[in-house]
Amino acid sequence: MQAFQADLARFESLNAQVLGVSPDDVETHKKFSASLGLRFPLVADKDGVIQKRYAPGRITYLIDTNGILRFVQKGMPKHEDFLRELGKLKK
Amino acid sequence: MLETLILSAAALLIAAPTSFAAPPEAGDPAPLFEAPSTDGTIRLADYRGRKPVVLAFYYADFTSG
Repeated sequence: MQAFQADLARFESLNAQVLGVSPDDVETHKKFSASLGLRFPLVADKDGVIQKRYAPGRITYLIDTNGILRFVQKGMPKHEDFLRELGKLKK
Repeated sequence: MLETLILSAAALLIAAPTSFAAPPEAGDPAPLFEAPSTDGTIRLADYRGRKPVVLAFYYADFTSG
């Protein structure tokens, strides 16, 4: 998540909202967030119920303003890919 | 032939884990959720018409990635 923080200004310049999601509770998220100085929300996905509606593992989605999935990437997210896809949304 | 196909499809459905039966893909609607976060309750629907969302699932806090 520190990688997203490092690039947060670039995501925000494209009006994007970054959300991190893991099964940790809010208390743990707050400690983790504070330790890294994260300035975007971490969502507490208790029992993984949100992820069960998406797909398992390390995976990142780009959702457009109509609520449609525009881009999906497994593994560690490559920010350049997401920034490029965000740029396409603006056109 | 058709019967075989139907049976194969049924077998696949039974074998598939129910929790990730049909992962959504690009072009599909993002499954909505509402959950607590470090910034209060997050409702995915609240971003509709406002902001694109980068939704990043990761394994656990205090791990790399």
